[in-house]
Amino acid sequence: MSTGPTGGWLDRWNAYWFPPAPTLNLAVCRIVAVAAQLLWFFPDLGEHVNLLLKNEEFIEPQLITRVIVALVPRDAFFTPSTFTFLYWATFAVGLLALAGLFTRVSLFLFALGSWIFVAHLFSYGDRHHTEALFAIFLMLLAFAPSGERLSVDAALRRRRTGADPAATSEFALWPLRVTHVLLGLTYFSAGMAKMLHSGLQWMNGYTLQGHTLADALSRGHPVGVWLAQQHTLAVLLSVFTIVFELFFWVSLLLPRRWTPAFLLAALMFQVGLWVSGGYDFFQHMVLLTLLLLFLVPDWWQRRLSAREGMRGAPGLDAGARVSG
Amino acid sequence: MFPRFRRVTSTSPSADPMTAARRRTLVSALILLVIGLHAVPVVYRAERGTLWPFMQWGMYKNSRPAGPVQVQQRRILALTASGARDTVTPRLLGLSVTVLEQRYLRPMMTGDTTVAPRLIERLNRDREDPFVELRLESETYTVTDTGLARRPNPEVTYRAGAPPR
Repeated sequence: MSTGPTGGWLDRWNAYWFPPAPTLNLAVCRIVAVAAQLLWFFPDLGEHVNLLLKNEEFIEPQLITRVIVALVPRDAFFTPSTFTFLYWATFAVGLLALAGLFTRVSLFLFALGSWIFVAHLFSYGDRHHTEALFAIFLMLLAFAPSGERLSVDAALRRRRTGADPAATSEFALWPLRVTHVLLGLTYFSAGMAKMLHSGLQWMNGYTLQGHTLADALSRGHPVGVWLAQQHTLAVLLSVFTIVFELFFWVSLLLPRRWTPAFLLAALMFQVGLWVSGGYDFFQHMVLLTLLLLFLVPDWWQRRLSAREGMRGAPGLDAGARVSG
Repeated sequence: MFPRFRRVTSTSPSADPMTAARRRTLVSALILLVIGLHAVPVVYRAERGTLWPFMQWGMYKNSRPAGPVQVQQRRILALTASGARDTVTPRLLGLSVTVLEQRYLRPMMTGDTTVAPRLIERLNRDREDPFVELRLESETYTVTDTGLARRPNPEVTYRAGAPPR
């Protein structure tokens, strides 16, 4: 047991990041995140080959791209044939990560391959925010016991040693906690940028009408075109946007029973942005759904347990449950 | 799928070469690194756009004053001598949408005549049926009391080797 002020801080730090949590939840996160990246967010090889064929230089190379160029000559790595190989190699290690074979290594390589593709795409003078947090989450999974359950590794381990996989681990929650902190940080950053750059004028309704109309027209989102014509609603949604972005981080400090409400609000916020203006933060939606289910799972486990109790089936034992 | 959770020891100390305390220290360092790296693009302005996935999140920060809500939709059409036409997209050009907007669309909208020859030259690389003409089309949409009003703007045509008309 730690003593003294340093020990106290250390205990609080460990209690926050490393509470015992179900390894099954982390395994489900691994499967969902890897499957989403493989089937939904995987790079478009044709787009990369097109960029490679039509550009002799990068316009604004990302750090990852520059590191690669420092290690391997540009002409050797940034070619259609190398990228075609990298594409299929990343896909293959993605399948291994999905199945949970050599889980940590395959997850790391899968995340690294995905990072290289996004960094390449954003080395031609354009960058977007949609992929960033999801890419970080994928990488963090490689450093957590996400192959402890629902994996080929676990099956092989059981066959070899006869031991059951660990049901809980103190390292099974921190990737979700980090993602929650990063969401708080990035929403706050987005809200502060609006306030520092535009001040209260950002909430005058005309701003949101203008942004929404431009994007909804070009992306063909009729809800956004309609919304852009509703001034009062635009004012209300502008105020909600600023309040939400500036104060989402409060969910990090409030008692955990409030966390699902904040996460649900964030999920609705992202869905609303997609429906109205076509802002395709699908990776955020996947992350928020995972957080909603597994960061503080008490809310749905309690309901499930109550329902099973009413049916007379053995429910979740609140005393034995480890919610993290 | 989500059975009753049991509290068990994750691994025995002898089986695990790394102690839990040491692993906690390493993971803590990783957590601090991942969170701390998000400060770099904010502090180090020169690299604020090139440190993906650690980024500044100042999206849609511009505001517009009170008044009529107006937006412009614009596109560039490219025509070959044989009459074939194509919309100039980021894919056709092999550039990002931001670069297409900043380097070509916006300057052409403001009457910069030096852009069109460069754009035609870039489009015609490796083409057998070269583009000879660019048409800049745009329309203005205005939110009015009675709905959305659409007004087409005059079309501007650039021919290869000729002044715009």
